[in-house]
Amino acid sequence: MATSPTVDGGVRTARPEQAPRVRPAAGPGRSRRAHAALARFGLFGAPGLLVYGCFVLAPVALSFWYSLTDDNPFRPHTRFVGLDNYRTLLTDQEFLTSLRVTTVLTAILVIVPNAAGLGIALLLNRKGWFYRAWRGVFFVPVVLSSVVVSIVWTRLLADDGVVNQALGRAGIGAVGWLSDPSLALYSLAGIMAWQMLGFCVVVYLAGLQSVPEELYEAAAIDGANAAGRFRHVTWPLLAPALTINTVVLLISAFKAYDHIQVITAGGPGSGTTATVAFLTLQTGFIANHQGYACAMAVLMLLIVATASAVVMRLLQRREVDL
Amino acid sequence: MSAAARRARPARPSVTDSRTSWLRPLAVTAVGALFAVPLYVVLADTFKPGPDIAPSPASLPTHPTLGNLTAVMDRPDHLFWVSLTNSLLITTLSVTGLTVLSAMLGHYLARTNSRWGRAATLVLLSGLMIPPQVILLPITHVLRVFHLMATVQGLVLFNIGYYVPFGVFVFAGFVRTIPVEMEEAAAIDGASAFTVFWRIVFPLLRPATASAVIFFGVWIWNDFLDPLVILGPGDGTTVTTGIYRAIGQYQADYGTVFGLMFLATLPVLILYLALQKHFVRGLTSGATKG
Repeated sequence: MATSPTVDGGVRTARPEQAPRVRPAAGPGRSRRAHAALARFGLFGAPGLLVYGCFVLAPVALSFWYSLTDDNPFRPHTRFVGLDNYRTLLTDQEFLTSLRVTTVLTAILVIVPNAAGLGIALLLNRKGWFYRAWRGVFFVPVVLSSVVVSIVWTRLLADDGVVNQALGRAGIGAVGWLSDPSLALYSLAGIMAWQMLGFCVVVYLAGLQSVPEELYEAAAIDGANAAGRFRHVTWPLLAPALTINTVVLLISAFKAYDHIQVITAGGPGSGTTATVAFLTLQTGFIANHQGYACAMAVLMLLIVATASAVVMRLLQRREVDL
Repeated sequence: MSAAARRARPARPSVTDSRTSWLRPLAVTAVGALFAVPLYVVLADTFKPGPDIAPSPASLPTHPTLGNLTAVMDRPDHLFWVSLTNSLLITTLSVTGLTVLSAMLGHYLARTNSRWGRAATLVLLSGLMIPPQVILLPITHVLRVFHLMATVQGLVLFNIGYYVPFGVFVFAGFVRTIPVEMEEAAAIDGASAFTVFWRIVFPLLRPATASAVIFFGVWIWNDFLDPLVILGPGDGTTVTTGIYRAIGQYQADYGTVFGLMFLATLPVLILYLALQKHFVRGLTSGATKG
């Protein structure tokens, strides 16, 4: 889960009040200042930027480059193949399936924790130890490793697991939560939604607590009932929380890997739960078609960038329109 | 304020009828209990004898035992201790490096008004949304060039590069809320830029540092994919990849798997229970401060 760059403070660097107060003097003073600025950059700016450049920017650039080749560690000569990899992708049934799987997973993962998280936050929006303690419980899965969460849920949803045992006692037959190819993707999405729920609850609670009480009083005096107060006061003021949750959920859905690897390994059947992120690594590291995998990675990056830009634009416009 | 006084003063103008006010705690308890079932199962199964787990995973541990935990700690291959040492080493080194580098870089960028500074900030922030899968393939090539593939140092450097944007985001945002005058005064008094930062600025950044350390710590401790790829299949095992390997090797032995999961989670869980407020703020920081 990466936190989104939505929050406006992050991108702004220009501060009018920081304009230089002293007019730059000509002559030796100026070059001394330039030296000091360079030293400051070398000491404070360069180390972080260097590591970021080597281990993030350079690999992104390399991904673009490899995607134009037929790179494979077991072939001695790597050839430049232009856009061939991309052309193949567009007709690759496995890749098209993974796009569909990613879309379904993303839709569920953006909607379910958002909606359930808002409901639970509304329930928990009271003072006192009781509600604080439950908030603490809902947040626990956020600090757990996705591997642990995956193993526990695999046990719960196994064909002979806790859930099916309970269903059996209620006289309902066993459900193939993770073994039925048409159901596994939804179970997987549900497990990931369970882990992300606490994050959404906390962000919505923070949003709810920032709503000024006077607004509720004013709405009550104007005769608004509970539903009216929610629609006209609470919901519009939760817009920033909605933006944050949506962008964070969107990005975590796109990079989902751990749960898929541990719970279903892309199956059951052929690729019923293999997302683009999962297929990229399978193609690159297991099948060793690295050039082809990089083409998938590049497409994935473009999709993530476009989707987050569009969502942020849409939701932030709502925030401004208030 | 006493509990009675708190109850007397509701947080919001009473929306619900007093006759239905018992509904809210009831609903919270019902939803919460349902939500917590998986958490209960881990706890119950950790203290249950291995053979009891598979037939009735959700039953209470009627014959509680520490056998699973001692079995994990006494394994002849030392899987648990090797994983724990590796995870502690990787997390400590990565978090320390990240905190130092991103505090310095965040402060530098927040106080720099040049075109280059703004461009660097934008490039860094765009790194917040890059999925690791996009860079993992080329990363293995880059690390091989530096002879860092399958080493702890390689993973630590990758962690620093990958999470630096988030650190800069948190620190730069915080630096902008503290006045620049103190730094200027110290500089006029002749303190070097280095002294100004470590003696004056860094102590003021404590709330941001707490958030960043918790965020980095939890993410790197729980990380699965990056150690799996970068440390490789050798003996470079962290707690998460160790658990993953244990389910492969001991498919039927759930006692071992649950014991391992419990022990691997314990450090994070204890810290979470002790510092709950900071954890919630740290893991949603950047989000809730907006």
